[in-house]
Amino acid sequence: MKRIWQLLSWAVFLALAVLPLLAGWGYAGAYSLGLTGLLSKGFTWGYWQAVLADPAFWRSLGFSVYVSVASITLATGMALAAVLAWRRELHRGWLSYAVYLPLTLPALVVGFAMFQLLAKGGLLSRISFHIGLTDSLVAFPDWVNDPYGIGIIVAHTWMAVPFFMLMFFNLFQSEGLALLGQVARSLGAAGRQVAWKVYVPVLLRRAYPLLVLYGLFVFGSYEAPLLLGAQSPQMISVLAIRKLQRFNLMEVPQAYAVSVFFVVVVIGFLVLMRRRGAAASLKI
Amino acid sequence: MRYFLLCIPFFLQACSSPSPAPAPDPAALSWEEVEQQAKGGAVQMMMWQGDPLINAYMNDYVVPAVADRYGIDLHIAGGQGNIIVQQLMAEMQAGKTDSELDLLWINGETFYQLRQIDGLYGPWTEALPNGQYVDWKNPFIARDFQQPVQGFECPWGNVQMAIIYNSAAVPEPPRDREALAGWVKAHPGRFTWDMHFTGLTFLKSLLIDIAGGQEALSGPFDEEKYRMYSERLWTYVREIRPYLWKEGKTFPEAVAPMHQLFASGELWFTMSNNDSEVDNKVLQGLFPETTRAYVWESGTIQNSHYLGIPRLSANKAGAMVVANFLLSPEAQYRKQDPQVWGDGTVLALDRLPEEWQQRFRELPGRKYAPRREEMQQRALPELAPEYMIRLADDFRKKIVEGSE
Repeated sequence: MKRIWQLLSWAVFLALAVLPLLAGWGYAGAYSLGLTGLLSKGFTWGYWQAVLADPAFWRSLGFSVYVSVASITLATGMALAAVLAWRRELHRGWLSYAVYLPLTLPALVVGFAMFQLLAKGGLLSRISFHIGLTDSLVAFPDWVNDPYGIGIIVAHTWMAVPFFMLMFFNLFQSEGLALLGQVARSLGAAGRQVAWKVYVPVLLRRAYPLLVLYGLFVFGSYEAPLLLGAQSPQMISVLAIRKLQRFNLMEVPQAYAVSVFFVVVVIGFLVLMRRRGAAASLKI
Repeated sequence: MRYFLLCIPFFLQACSSPSPAPAPDPAALSWEEVEQQAKGGAVQMMMWQGDPLINAYMNDYVVPAVADRYGIDLHIAGGQGNIIVQQLMAEMQAGKTDSELDLLWINGETFYQLRQIDGLYGPWTEALPNGQYVDWKNPFIARDFQQPVQGFECPWGNVQMAIIYNSAAVPEPPRDREALAGWVKAHPGRFTWDMHFTGLTFLKSLLIDIAGGQEALSGPFDEEKYRMYSERLWTYVREIRPYLWKEGKTFPEAVAPMHQLFASGELWFTMSNNDSEVDNKVLQGLFPETTRAYVWESGTIQNSHYLGIPRLSANKAGAMVVANFLLSPEAQYRKQDPQVWGDGTVLALDRLPEEWQQRFRELPGRKYAPRREEMQQRALPELAPEYMIRLADDFRKKIVEGSE
């Protein structure tokens, strides 16, 4: 009986989760090779060649990696510092509620709020003008639609910090780090040593898979980069949607090629991580 | 994560099921029969819903009117250009026999794409009784982006591009290409154009001007002319680029963010494909009252926007009745009022009954944009769609990404 249930649940999982994804991916693959689509003229590598030969595509890929790594690194650092500094407040008190608030906001809303905050005509620029830091609104630095993705990184960091804080805080409890800290202290470690040699390494190691997954989420994010990014380089999802939706219908297959490539990168990365994860767990 | 969009065709395929035999082709019926067939049916219309005044015109006036008079249940869904094309493409690729949509608000670039994929029903506009008030020979109506309309879409409104500026900051706006170059160099960071339809229309106006004016680029796409004149256009753009907004390193994604930059004072200029939009935006309190619109001496592009019916629409008769109502003197008159929408009529006034001619003439004028008759003298025709596709590609490659 138990076996039947197990098989059934596997079948449901395959039908609902795996099959649609594979079918969609297969369809995208076929479209990118000219095998289907209203304007297709039969099999061709042309769309793939066009995508892979386009320097804008590679810049876009590199830029997406950069934004993702920068956001996760910043958010991890800030969340670690916050959790170690405010452990008690996170237990109860207003911070334990406030930290949930940013989690309820959709990326689009955060993107828009960041635009209102960071643009040259935005709130910060107005404040800095009024207190005399800048002599005109335009003199305020480029923090949105800028080539370094500052606006995108700030938005993603802002969204990720509370999530990471909750994660680190829970890990701190479940791993019994307070006790470990006491042990270290009784063996003569200073406060800073306890943080750097005990808390941080344990938290990072345990959180590693989730941090990577969140990084992949940022890598493929759409709304924040659309609102806050520059026209060049664009993040990979913005590039794909642009090719899908702009004036030249002949570029639609290229959009599918980009999305297939994106999935290959993500899956490749996950497989690599799993291998390394297995190797790392062997070492321990 | 918009990648799920890419999977939609597959899901549609899974959901589509055989449907009953289609209704008879309404273009072959008499108008009474068309109205009869339309009665009691629902019409799904897809249109751009980015303007509260336009939405109010549709929801508070058109929807109740067609329900009262023709018993039609009109539903409006948001979506424009690429969304419409994507949806119809997905339906056709999935082998659906009935479209989710019956009536579409489209312009030339979408018309071109929909004809490319054979997504439109037609010809059907000759059957409309209110078609008698339209001058079908008027080049701004008969040709959409240089393509003959041939009854596959019905004109709905007519607009001309206007440059919008804040007269408090810019007392004397530049009136041509050279003057603009001088102005941006003296006022860096205050001028730009967007990456989408409006910005490309601006670039097209520049291209026509460089090519020698009005008729220089009319007719089908000409590769040689495009190469020659676009090279000069890019030279011009490169010259002013360092003085544009954000030093020309990036451009606003679309016209709405550009309007926002204008409203917040970061830009001193914006632009609109609808010459009445400035009145509409000042009335809504989005633009300051010192905002004005004008047209360059070399002219700006004028074009009509249209209504189309998908080839797979299940209620073509209903769509035709709604389109006929939207083309009526009553609906067109109301739409042209700047307090309501401010969209120019496509009716030829001299064909209207005397009383309607009178009413159109007495319509309250616009406060912040020049008179339509004045602008008409500087109206440039739309170019063949390939010009826009090439300009969009080259602008991105040669300027934004700067790889050449």
